[in-house]
Amino acid sequence: MVTDPNNPVLQIEDLSVAYVTNDGFVNAVNDINLTLYPGEIVGLVGESGSGKSTMANAIMRLLKGDAIVTKGRVKILGRDVYEMSEKQLRQFRWSKMSMVFQSAMSALNPVMTVETQILDTLTSHDKSMTKAQALERAKELMNLVRIDTKHLKSYPHELSGGMRQRVVIAIAIALNPSFVIMDEPTTALDVVVQRSILNEIRRIQEKVGFAILFVSHDFSLVAELASRVAIMYAGRVVEMTPSNTLSLMASEKHHPYTIGLLEAIPELTADEVIITGIPGNPPNLRTLPSGCAFHPRCPFAEEICTKERPVAVTVGPSDIECHLYSGKGMKQHV
Amino acid sequence: MSDANQPLLRVEDLVVRFPIAGRQYIRPVDGVSFAIAPGEVLSLVGESGSGKSTIGKALVRMVEPAGGTIEVNGQDVTHIRGRRIKDYRENVQMVFQDPFGSLNPVRTVEQHLAFPLRKHRMDKTVNVNAKIDELLEKVGLTPVADTRQKFPHELSGGQRQRVAIARALAVNPKFVVADEPISMLDVSIRAGILKLMNDLRADMNLAFLYITHDLASARYIGNRIMVLYGGKVMETAPSDELLRHPSHPYTRLLLAATPGSRHQGDLPETSNTAPNLVEGRRGCPFASRCPLVTSECHEVEPALTTLGDNHSVACHHPA
Ligand SMILES: Nc1ncnc2c1ncn2[C@@H]1O[C@H](COP(=O)(O)OP(=O)(O)O)[C@@H](O)[C@H]1O
Ligand SMILES: Nc1ncnc2c1ncn2[C@@H]1O[C@H](COP(=O)(O)OP(=O)(O)O)[C@@H](O)[C@H]1O
Ligand SMILES: [Mg+2]
Ligand SMILES: [Mg+2]
Repeated sequence: MVTDPNNPVLQIEDLSVAYVTNDGFVNAVNDINLTLYPGEIVGLVGESGSGKSTMANAIMRLLKGDAIVTKGRVKILGRDVYEMSEKQLRQFRWSKMSMVFQSAMSALNPVMTVETQILDTLTSHDKSMTKAQALERAKELMNLVRIDTKHLKSYPHELSGGMRQRVVIAIAIALNPSFVIMDEPTTALDVVVQRSILNEIRRIQEKVGFAILFVSHDFSLVAELASRVAIMYAGRVVEMTPSNTLSLMASEKHHPYTIGLLEAIPELTADEVIITGIPGNPPNLRTLPSGCAFHPRCPFAEEICTKERPVAVTVGPSDIECHLYSGKGMKQHV
Repeated sequence: MSDANQPLLRVEDLVVRFPIAGRQYIRPVDGVSFAIAPGEVLSLVGESGSGKSTIGKALVRMVEPAGGTIEVNGQDVTHIRGRRIKDYRENVQMVFQDPFGSLNPVRTVEQHLAFPLRKHRMDKTVNVNAKIDELLEKVGLTPVADTRQKFPHELSGGQRQRVAIARALAVNPKFVVADEPISMLDVSIRAGILKLMNDLRADMNLAFLYITHDLASARYIGNRIMVLYGGKVMETAPSDELLRHPSHPYTRLLLAATPGSRHQGDLPETSNTAPNLVEGRRGCPFASRCPLVTSECHEVEPALTTLGDNHSVACHHPA
């Protein structure tokens, strides 16, 4: 896989996605811009309902019937995913970009062995591959995700939750994609299993070199895994920041929502633990608040925030959408 | 009988068993002992299937123990039935993980609270209406007049969990089992519920058994942490002590795996097999995963032994 380090693997430009429902539009993704470079791990954090999965599915062009891309484009390796024919897309998906879903059980076929499922993926994309070559590659993949090759003969229900998720990862990387989206791949698992799978992901990623968009609601977990983190609120990326700024100890400036999240989780090793939490509740995407969608919950909100949506400005190493930094607010730089 | 040194709750050698195929039984709780003082929070930590919820259910007597004793205020409630269970539930209450599943979709918030208030009312002159307002105020569901008329689906997850807590408080309990009360809530909402529990402990001298799989919240809210594995207590200590000087290999594994631990590299485990819960098992339940395992561990069950300072560990090779 030859990728120029300066050419992005993923470029999202002004992407908006809405669900069309009987009660009107649900604006799940609103004008998102995001770029991923080869071999990079970028985290996407946000509370449930903030639009993470919608965005992930939109990148893969796997949106369901009632969702429409209302604006913008998605380019993978420079190619617009939405301008491909069905046939081109089928070739592209899984071989250049792939996805790991939260529920391993629903991603796997319950009546097929692990071997059959891996071989299917391999041979359906590479018709020239012989059965023997495919089997060899299947074993290699099992070794890569550290599952005993005897489990090639197992059915999904015969495996533990952690092993199933490893199989799903093996299938996602089977064709050497340049880019993998992982949508909460460990959320349903116990912490020990979760951590061992994250270690695995990191190890494989270092070895094989694909880029990952890692989606999660777990702030501390993403901060450990990713080099950059996108913070999503009400369908927008309100901040993009290097992960090493995501600690109460770090001095970098942040979006007030990011600060709220940092203060909401008890730190495991801090000497003194004080948590505050964020008042109110995440917004309803049918009726987004005016201006900055976070303003009803924001301790720094002022008039401009209710009227005008802030655009991203560069603040230190981060890009932040907030009137504290836009130059338009009365209050400045907390 | 309210001696200051007397624990509110004393659990001695608790055993719960469930039948499985082949006339065998599993013991998801096997010989567990602990005590909780008034106003104290004990955090119960362990992976899923370790028996946490079963302990919680035994304490509120939704499950009858097969062995051991549960004493509350010096009164043995291990096998009480009928009318005495109703009285008992005035002292202990449980809040569950799924705030939606535990509320009735066709009842308003007001109805959820009025029911236990009327049912358990000792003093018939108590004004139920005023009491509902007071409870909603206490759990931060204001403006009260609005909240009273709402149905569960009109509330957010965090608000629903507050209703569940208010309902538990309606009977004026001394002790609440909170079974993963924040694990299904959004991150920004969790802190509010943890803080609410903290305030209730301080203001009402309420004691909690806080069940969680997350060491960070266990430490935040708990005076002490008890680590469970395969239905047995592996280690118990004051929260900070447990995180600073974890002694049991399973505690150390959990800690290493928790986000924020700064652990680097592979995890200290040899496999990830599930513990055997079948009655008659021998040795330490963690032996099959333990990096320090010796033949003794497969044969002899390690007893819970004091290391000093309220710190106990059940391990043949403690750190
Ligand atoms: N099929 C659908 N129809 C209508 N609304 C939907 C549908 N799927 C998701 N949504 C809404 O879109 C928003 C974003 O959802 P999602 O992308 O799943 O968020 P996340 O993955 O961050 O939890 C939510 O408000 C959700 O209710
Ligand atoms: N009513 C029951 N009948 C049979 N087995 C049960 C029952 N309740 C729980 N178990 C089993 O007991 C073990 C412990 O369960 P539980 O107490 O729910 O664990 P935790 O709350 O730590 O996840 C599990 O293996 C579970 O399947
Ligand atoms: Mg999602
Ligand atoms: Mg449980």
